[in-house]
Amino acid sequence: MTPAEARDLETRFEDIRRLSRDEGLDFFDTHFEIVPMDVMHEIAAYGLPTRAQHWSYGKVYNHQKIHGEMGLSRIYEIVLNNDPCYAFLLDTNSDVANLLVAAHVFGHCDFFKNNECFHGSNRNMVNEAVDHAIRIDKYIDKEGLDAVEHVMDIGFALDRHIDPKLGHSRKPYPRREVVERIVHEDDYADLFGEEKLSVERRVLGDKIPPHPERDLLWFLANYAHIEPWEKDVLEIIRKESYYFYPQFETKIMNEGWASYWHAYTMEHYPDLSPSETIDFAHLHAGVVHPGGRFQLNPYYLGYKLLVDIERRWDKMHEAGESTVTGREKLFEVRQSDNDASFISNYLTEDLAVEMKLMTYGYSDPDDSDDGDIEIKSRELDRIVKSLIASKLNYGVPKIVVSEVAGDRLYLEHVRGDLGPLDAHYAQKTLEYIHDLWKGPVELATWQDGRTVKLSIGPHGFESKTVEA
Amino acid sequence: MVVTLASTIPWDLRRRGLKDSIRHDRRIKEALKQNLKDLIAEEAIITSDGKKLVKIPIKYLDQYRFRFGDDRRREGVGQGPGQVGDVIASDPGDGPPDGMAGDQPGQEVYEAEVSLDDLTSMMLEDFALPWLEQKEQELVKTTSYRFDDLRKQGQLSNLDKRRTLVENLRRNAVTGNPRVGSISTDDLRYKVWKEHKELHSNCAVYLLMDRSGSMTTEKKYMAKSFFFWLVRFLQLKYQHVEMVFIAHDTEAKVVPEQNFFTISNSGGTKCSSAYELALDHIRKHHPKARWNSYVFHFSDGDNYSDDNEACKKLILELLEETQMVGYGEISEADDRIYGRDGRMLYGGYRMSTLHQELSALDNPRFVTVMIHQKEDVYRGLQEFLKTRPEVAV
Repeated sequence: MTPAEARDLETRFEDIRRLSRDEGLDFFDTHFEIVPMDVMHEIAAYGLPTRAQHWSYGKVYNHQKIHGEMGLSRIYEIVLNNDPCYAFLLDTNSDVANLLVAAHVFGHCDFFKNNECFHGSNRNMVNEAVDHAIRIDKYIDKEGLDAVEHVMDIGFALDRHIDPKLGHSRKPYPRREVVERIVHEDDYADLFGEEKLSVERRVLGDKIPPHPERDLLWFLANYAHIEPWEKDVLEIIRKESYYFYPQFETKIMNEGWASYWHAYTMEHYPDLSPSETIDFAHLHAGVVHPGGRFQLNPYYLGYKLLVDIERRWDKMHEAGESTVTGREKLFEVRQSDNDASFISNYLTEDLAVEMKLMTYGYSDPDDSDDGDIEIKSRELDRIVKSLIASKLNYGVPKIVVSEVAGDRLYLEHVRGDLGPLDAHYAQKTLEYIHDLWKGPVELATWQDGRTVKLSIGPHGFESKTVEA
Repeated sequence: MVVTLASTIPWDLRRRGLKDSIRHDRRIKEALKQNLKDLIAEEAIITSDGKKLVKIPIKYLDQYRFRFGDDRRREGVGQGPGQVGDVIASDPGDGPPDGMAGDQPGQEVYEAEVSLDDLTSMMLEDFALPWLEQKEQELVKTTSYRFDDLRKQGQLSNLDKRRTLVENLRRNAVTGNPRVGSISTDDLRYKVWKEHKELHSNCAVYLLMDRSGSMTTEKKYMAKSFFFWLVRFLQLKYQHVEMVFIAHDTEAKVVPEQNFFTISNSGGTKCSSAYELALDHIRKHHPKARWNSYVFHFSDGDNYSDDNEACKKLILELLEETQMVGYGEISEADDRIYGRDGRMLYGGYRMSTLHQELSALDNPRFVTVMIHQKEDVYRGLQEFLKTRPEVAV
C-alpha cells in the first residue's frame, strides 16, 4: 500500500466512523496501523504489540505462523482495548475487507468503552506493557534468562487465579491487632429508651488469609518469601492478566456486537459497487459461519443472539409490551451483560431449535473403550449450562488458599467445581507454588467423591486419598 | 482517527516473536535431552540413513497450570440434525472433539529439527570405548583445526572484531584521544588456525547380528537401534575406525554396512558360525599387536543347543584376540515365562540356554545384556560402553 492509498483509505474509514457514530456507537479515538502478516502473527501471539519476552509466546507465534503460511487461518484484524484504541490491519486486505474490518473495529471499541466488565480496565496497557517488557529485560540482564523465565513460568501457570471482584489494586490483610468496639446489644433498643451498650473485643489479622483467597498470584507475590524482582515479575503477569480478563468474559458478546455492527454499517455504506457488495457478503458469511458440528463459532452465536434480541424487542415494542425498541434493548445488553448472563438471559427455546443446538457426549461414559459420541440433549437448560461452563472462573478450576500454618501452605480445590483436576498438571503446578513458597504446600482436592491430598515438601511429592 | 502504514512504525524495535520462538526451540532441545531414553529407538532417527538433519515429532512444550482432568461425562455444545441418542461420531482414541475437551488444548505436534551429530553427542556424551590401548604401529591420527592465533593479514571473514576494536582504541589512546573510530588497516586483526594432530589407537569393531527366522522385525529393530547408535558413536569419536559387519543364521557372512541394516530373515541359528568368521577375520586383518578390536553380537539366543559349547570356546578365543566381547540378547514380552503359580520367572524373561552358558564365563571383558523393549537399548549401550577400570589383559 502506498501512502496515497493509505490517505484514500483514511477518507473511507472516516465515512465508516461517521456512520457508526450516527447510529449511536460511542468509542475512543481509534488508530489504525497497517502491518504485514508476520507482524500480525506476532501481535496475535503476544496479545499486545510489545510485551515482555517469554518462550511461550514464541510457541504461539510459531504455531500461528505455520497455520498462516499453510492458509489455515487468516487474521484480518486485531483490536486492543486502550485509549486511544489501537487496531491493526493486514496489509494484504482488500479495500472491502478493510472497510468491513473498520466497521467491526468501531463495534469493538464501543464495547470496550461501554460494557460494564471493562469498567475500570486499564486503558493504557499498550504503553504499560512496554514498560513491563523493559523491566523484565532488566531482570534478565541481572538475574539471567533461566531464573527469570522460571518465575515467569510460575506466574503464567497461575495467571488465571485472580479475583476480579476484589480487583487489581489491593491492600495487604490487616495486621494482627485486638480492637474493642462498642456494640448496641439490641438494634432497636434506643427507640424505646432502653439502650444497653457493651464492649466487644475482636482479634483481627489473626488468621492468614482471613477468608479463602482466590487471588493466588497476589497472595504469593505478597506472602511468599521471594526477592523483590520475583515479586515484580509476578505483579506484571498479574496486572496483564487483569487486563485480559474482561475480554475472556465477553468474547461471544463482543464478537457478536462487532459483527452486528459491521453488517449494519456496510449495508448502509453508500459507496459500495455491486461487486464490492458481493465481496462483502462473502466476507461477512465467513466471519459469522456457524462453525462445525461439534464447535459453535462464537462470532456466529453472539451475532445470532443479538439479531434475535432486536427482532423480539421490536415486536414487543410494536405490540406495546415493551417501552424500548430492539435497538435500544441491544445497547442495554451491550452495557450490562457478560457472556454467561447474555446466554442464560437471551438464548430462547425457539432460537435453540432454529439453530439446531444440542449437547453431545460419550454414549457410555463408564466404558473408556467405547468411543461413541451421541446427541445427549436438546433441552435449553442443558445447552446453556454447557455453554457457560467454560466461561466460569476464567476457565480454570477454583483453587483457593485456605490456611497458612507455620511454614505450611494449605490450598483447597473448591467442592462443587466443574470436575476433578488433571493429576499430572496439578502436581507440576504445585511444584511451581512450592518453588515460590519454599515451605511445604498441600492441596486438598477430590476425585470420585473422596478427598485427595496432594502435598509437596522436603520429601518430594505425595498423593494420598483420604477415605470419607 | 489516524491511519498509519507499517513502514512508518519502527517495528524492528518491537520484534520479539522470532527470538522467543528460537528460545522455544532451545527449550525443546533441552527437553529432548531429558527424554533421550525414549527417543533412542525413535524410528525417524534410526531410519534417517545419513541425513544431516532429522525431524523429531515432539509435542509443543506443555505449560502447566491447574486444569480439569479428563471427564468422560463432560458435554459439549454442537449443532445439526439428529435425535437425542443418535450416535454422531466416534472418538478414534485420540481424544474427544474440541468442544467437549474443555480447557484441554489439542495435542499439537511440532517437528523439531535437530542435527544428527548434535543428537548423537547428546546421547552418547558420557560413553567411551573401554580398554582402548596404545598399540605399536599404525597409530591413527586425528586432525583438528583450531583458531588460536592472530595476524595482521588474513581473510575478511576471519576478522576478529573485538581485537580489532581493542587495537583501534589503543592506537587512538596513544594519540591522546581514547575512543573507537577511524579504523585503519593497521588495526585489523585476523584469526588464524593451526592444525592439531592427535594420536589415537587403532580400533576395529565387529558387529555381529543374528538374522535367523526367530528374530522378528521388532527384535531386529532393537538390534538395529543399538548398532545404529554404536556406529554413530564410533564415527563421532574416532576418525578412523574400521567396522566389520557380520550377519549370520546357520552360516555367517561379512556384509557391507548398508545391507547389514536391511537384511531379511531366513533359516535357523548357529551363532558359532559368526564367532568363527569374526575370529578368522580378526587374525587376518586386525591382529592384536596392532589393533584394539571389539566384538558385539546381538541375537535372540535361539541357538541350536549343541552349538552352545562351540560358542563358549570361540568366545574364549575371541577374548584372547580382542579387548572386549559383548553379547546382547533380545527377548520380547511374548517370550515371558511363567512358573506353575502363574508368577513370572527370572524377572519375567527367559534366559536362553546360550545366554546361560555364556554367563558362566567369568571374564570382566565379556559383557552380556538383556534387552526387552526399546527403552532398554540405552541401558545396553551404557553397559557396553561405560568406562571401565584398568584390567590387565
